Amino acid sequence: MLLFRSEEQLGRWCDAWGLPRGAILSPAICWALAREWYQDRRDPNWRRRTVDEAHALFRQLGLTGDFWKLN
Amino acid sequence: MFDDSTLRLRIYDEIVRTSEAPSVAALATQFGVAVEDVSAVLRRMHNAHLLVLQPSGEVLMANPFSAVPTPFVTEVGDRRWFGNCIWDALGILATLHSNGRVLTSCAGCGDAMTLEVRDAVLTRDGIVHFALPARRWWDDIVFN
Repeated sequence: MLLFRSEEQLGRWCDAWGLPRGAILSPAICWALAREWYQDRRDPNWRRRTVDEAHALFRQLGLTGDFWKLN
Repeated sequence: MFDDSTLRLRIYDEIVRTSEAPSVAALATQFGVAVEDVSAVLRRMHNAHLLVLQPSGEVLMANPFSAVPTPFVTEVGDRRWFGNCIWDALGILATLHSNGRVLTSCAGCGDAMTLEVRDAVLTRDGIVHFALPARRWWDDIVFN
């Protein structure tokens, strides 16, 4: 997951790597995802999210569609 | 006590404290167990996607932290850690429950970029790109 100044710069990167565009997030949404995903990582009772739990989190942040399906 | 959870937390505590991942040998010494015992637990955690090991068996990623230098530097005061990607670099601030900054660069042009989190709010122009769909994230976690 990389940061770009603009969609133009992302386009250059995709062309250079020969890769299609994936999903684009604002830094604010990426921060919201990072916060929800990692804020409990040092909790002694931490466990990996189930697929359903991860999907629910993605939906909560508006990350929907086939791209965000884990299975 | 030496079990998966305790070992996992020790790795995170050491990275937070020193900005470096502990070696397998150091963990074995700290817990008073054989290197092979630590390696076996780490391998099990790697296979369960709880962390990522280097080919040598040493820790590569204890997400969101990277054990090796990357272009994603998370800075809190005068302390720094490496993240695995922009998501993880922000994730370090989430893990630490702290204000701070991510020092990185545009992956297209190389210009320096800084993301700052203050009071749980991030403001910055730019876009984050997820190249691979979620179901493929673990196909090549290092590239991803």
